[in-house]
Amino acid sequence: MLGNWLGEIVKRSDSGPYMKEAEFEMALSKRTGELVKAHGLKFNGQEPVPSDDEMADRLYEAGLELFVDLGVYNQTTERCIRFSRDEAERVVAAAPEAVTLGVGKDAVVMRHRGVESEVPCVVHSGPTGTPCSERYHPLILQSCARERLVDCLGAGSVSTYMGQAITPGTPLEILASRRDAGVAREAVRMAGRPGMHINDVAVPLTCAGKMAAIDLGSGLRPSDALLVSQMVEMKTDFDQLSRVAHLQNVGMHVADLMTPLIGGLGGGAEGTAVVTVASHILGAVLYSASYHFMSHTHLRWVNNTDRMGLWMQAMVGQALGRNTPMVTVNDIYTVSGPGTDELLWECAAGAVVGAVCGMNQQGAGATGGYETDHTTGLEARFIAEVAHAALGLTRGEANGIVLELLSHYEDTFDEPKRGMSFPEVYDEETVEPKEAWLDIYHQVRQAVIGLGLDLDGGWKKVRYE
Amino acid sequence: MSENPTHVGLSEALKQGKAEEAEALARQALDEGSDPLELIQTVVVPTLTEIGRRFQEFEIFLPELMLAGEAAKRATAPIEAAIAESGKGSASLGTVVIGTVANDVHDIGKNIVGTLLSAHGFKVVDLGRDISPSGFLDAAEQHEADVVAMSSLMTTTRPAQQSTIKLFEETGKRGSYKIIVGGGSTNEQWAEKIGADGYAPDAASAAELCRKLLKGE
Repeated sequence: MLGNWLGEIVKRSDSGPYMKEAEFEMALSKRTGELVKAHGLKFNGQEPVPSDDEMADRLYEAGLELFVDLGVYNQTTERCIRFSRDEAERVVAAAPEAVTLGVGKDAVVMRHRGVESEVPCVVHSGPTGTPCSERYHPLILQSCARERLVDCLGAGSVSTYMGQAITPGTPLEILASRRDAGVAREAVRMAGRPGMHINDVAVPLTCAGKMAAIDLGSGLRPSDALLVSQMVEMKTDFDQLSRVAHLQNVGMHVADLMTPLIGGLGGGAEGTAVVTVASHILGAVLYSASYHFMSHTHLRWVNNTDRMGLWMQAMVGQALGRNTPMVTVNDIYTVSGPGTDELLWECAAGAVVGAVCGMNQQGAGATGGYETDHTTGLEARFIAEVAHAALGLTRGEANGIVLELLSHYEDTFDEPKRGMSFPEVYDEETVEPKEAWLDIYHQVRQAVIGLGLDLDGGWKKVRYE
Repeated sequence: MSENPTHVGLSEALKQGKAEEAEALARQALDEGSDPLELIQTVVVPTLTEIGRRFQEFEIFLPELMLAGEAAKRATAPIEAAIAESGKGSASLGTVVIGTVANDVHDIGKNIVGTLLSAHGFKVVDLGRDISPSGFLDAAEQHEADVVAMSSLMTTTRPAQQSTIKLFEETGKRGSYKIIVGGGSTNEQWAEKIGADGYAPDAASAAELCRKLLKGE
């Protein structure tokens, strides 16, 4: 197995079987359905955190079979890139099980965690999938970077450059990419954490735009990462693969981003779980990723804190935790927004499942990305506190807690409480949460402590013991 | 819904996404003397509307919707041929040219809208993704579209919807078509701002919006 086999991937992209994209999608749906049946995978809404090792292993096997049977669709060449089972298994086995993110005193080691692990979660934050205005973007990033329990920062996305709409592929995209990288760098510097890992600059949509974010002085560095995306489901193109080529050569982390849709091509929770396991294998084999972001969302509500989303997170986390060395991160997407207690309940559910089922944490993608500037650092603090408090829970214990957490928000999905924007819940001068938002945080925090999670002691144990 | 056993069978085949069976039953119904236009209006459209509702309610998922859409395509081909032969006009509610705007490669939402529009009886011309403003304009003229539907997921690709409408205006073609927008980065306010004729938050609403626009409501 070659260390860098992009040449081989390009070759297979040109020589693999030709297929129209719609045919690939149909074949993927069909094969996924067959694998769900063949491996006896069954979603149970009453058990969002299953304790079934055998089902987790069967899920992994189904995902591996899907990857080998279908391959990956290259949209540029309209051909399938195929790999043998042996190739896939070898690459997965050699995937990094720990990566150092950031540099100097601010560096953290993010590890493969495993099921019911005592290994602490690394917590990523930033405006995940939530668009920001030029005006509030710097403050939102500062609010996240200054949270002591947040380990890494994502720069998020702003859709204008000095008031002008950014069109991909134009000079404005390059300028905006460099500006956002600089804003993120400044945010971590102002927080007194200049070496903190920055996991992406999301505004650029082209390879050139992404690469423009790299700047040793005022932008992203090799100790940071940029996302390389998969298109739903199991698709890539040469633009994405070109990002891998550059990042590998400058020694920078590749963060694999997948966005599986529950209710989409994979079908329900079980099928989407199979596709998501296969997508992780894709990220290892094609992108040589340092780590993987699992950003699955419900097709209608654009969250993953519903029962199907949590079950999928739990099962995929366990399948990968038991069968691979991969370093995985769960993106928490919520329907609710800042200033609502529902946002914190949703974050808590995602954090408990991730912590117990082998994943690291990222969040929150508040309002499913519908509302501009509806994201703050406070929910990231809460995710970290809950994740650290959940260490050592069994899956059975986590299941009970998650069922209770669900009861506080799941009836709002059809009429979500989008909450308030950043300036309504944060002081713009001090970049601190306003009293009303803090009150809600303290209320929910106390209630979660009442469920048996030690939010006061959990993080101290992680940090000091 | 008709109680004619062939009609009932056709409806079932569509629901189960059995394309060959659906086509065979459509042909059988025509051979048995069913009026083709009535077959569309009383069997195909109500069945597919029900499938669309079940998808919207998350009772079924995209794979089932895709299979039903495929079955509908196969079944309606001989029925539409029979309508054309009879000279009774068209079963289509109108022609919709649909695509994801320039620089945006996210098309699953647009695909779902296309499938549901077909299910509701529209003729859909799917241009794919990353479609330039002139791509929409050329296709609208070529296919004599009634509606042009543009999707955009990203806030950075959303301005292409505005550029496309602008091109229709500059070329004097704006009045010839209804233009609607949708996708994760759009909303009612954005649609109003760029001068679109409508916005739909999801696939089912898109079908309803097209129907209303073409009825002049």
